[in-house]
Amino acid sequence: MTSRGAIYWRIASFAVAAGFVGLWQLIADLRLVSPVFLPGPDRAWASLVRGFTSGDLGSKLLGTLEHMAYGWFLASIAGIALGALIGSSRSMRSYIAPSLEFLRPLPVSAIIPVAIALFGLTQGMALFVIAFGAIWPMLLATIHGFAAVEPRLYEVARSLHMSRLAVIFKIALPSAAPDILAGMRLSLTVALILSVVCEILAGLDGLGHSVLLSARAFRSADLFAGVILLGMIGYLTSLMMSFAEARILRYRRRS
Amino acid sequence: MVALSLVVSREASASKSARPQIAFSNVALNLGGKAIVEDLSLTVRPGEFLCIIGASGCGKTTALRLAAGLYQPTSGSVEFDGQPMRTPRRDIAIVFQDYGKALLPWRTAAGNVSLALEANNVPVSERAPRIDALLKKVGLPNHAGKYPAEMSGGMQQRLQIARCLAQDPKALLMDEPFGALDAMTRQGLQDEVLSLVAAANMTVIFVTHDLEEAIYLGDRVIGLLPNPGRIGIELTIDLPRPRDQLTTRENPEFLRLRRELFDFIKASEA
Repeated sequence: MTSRGAIYWRIASFAVAAGFVGLWQLIADLRLVSPVFLPGPDRAWASLVRGFTSGDLGSKLLGTLEHMAYGWFLASIAGIALGALIGSSRSMRSYIAPSLEFLRPLPVSAIIPVAIALFGLTQGMALFVIAFGAIWPMLLATIHGFAAVEPRLYEVARSLHMSRLAVIFKIALPSAAPDILAGMRLSLTVALILSVVCEILAGLDGLGHSVLLSARAFRSADLFAGVILLGMIGYLTSLMMSFAEARILRYRRRS
Repeated sequence: MVALSLVVSREASASKSARPQIAFSNVALNLGGKAIVEDLSLTVRPGEFLCIIGASGCGKTTALRLAAGLYQPTSGSVEFDGQPMRTPRRDIAIVFQDYGKALLPWRTAAGNVSLALEANNVPVSERAPRIDALLKKVGLPNHAGKYPAEMSGGMQQRLQIARCLAQDPKALLMDEPFGALDAMTRQGLQDEVLSLVAAANMTVIFVTHDLEEAIYLGDRVIGLLPNPGRIGIELTIDLPRPRDQLTTRENPEFLRLRRELFDFIKASEA
């Protein structure tokens, strides 16, 4: 597609988004839904600005970002390391796969009471829950990526007498990188969802908690401001991940 | 006039050198209960260019992988420089047929050559000049920054050869390296391999299904019979060097050898 075509598509997608906001404004202005429950985008935006300038929305945002980042980071390290270990050995795969298949479909919400019992209503609990939920996409993608390394490359490595560590870092990891990055992107969303859930359940400082309190107090503008902010976190972190992917996998684009 | 001193004998070359570079003694290999090669005995002199031909499924590639140490024989022994082959060695480089799979797609041409230098613990400061020299040697001096996916098949195979040369090998094992290339590219690469090998005085085992290629390149051609793979014919090629794509291929001796190998393949498939 030409770059001009790409620009038109970009403009069209903005137009659609603007249309939705306009529709929202219209519904709010016509009072089709009570303003107690549905503020217009104008009020939500005003609340958002007020929250940052005179309120504590900034610190709430930081709290959520922190939960999300720590949990995601922990899940990434553990997921990639475990996935590499399992994926690079056929016997490990056959030993561990059944246990993974039992743990994987377990709803994370079922883990939360267990985590609360173990850690209390603490940051540690949130970290555990977020990491537990976010590890799966990464773990499975890494296992798949490591298992799918071109066997010919392992023969090249053997004929070069490369060390085990060199094989992992120079061949297996870069070869599995597309899978791993796709897993990391999925995990990012999971980490955001679980951050909000943990904040709501454990009353931890963050947007999840603030949204809950706003809803209980019928401060619909604040509620929507929080929701908009959460959407923006999801969008922007995913965008950052895309940039990272494009950079790391640039050898693919040039073909 | 070319001297037609042709020697057709099974053990002719074994006595020519004190110690062979590569020696198979009564090698047999079974994979999954099936005999792939049987009673394979052959020697390759240092600096010799040996070609292995045969119908598909005759164990050509298996013989090469045994020489590389990628397979261990079920019985018999494979020796390199008088030492038994237990694992692949850094001084034996393998050029695989599927260059697309043997290169790292996420590394540039320079990066792919660098892989072998890194494995050989060449200091970082020495790598760049050696990479430049190697890429120049295989005719890719201006492609250092390209990824394999941006290169043609012939260029990718040159790149793989450059990486193999970076190992500084005593022996080069080539598994149908030009099988997937078009005729013009193939002839160009044949001549380049001949001059590279002559310059470095490397021992070569070259597996191909192209009979003319085998005669054109080799000092000796071994033909394998299938099921299980075993030696069926051995021809010493006394065509003058340097070889030339036109005059060598028009040489009556070349045509006679071609006829002989052709008849052998036909008989082996019957």
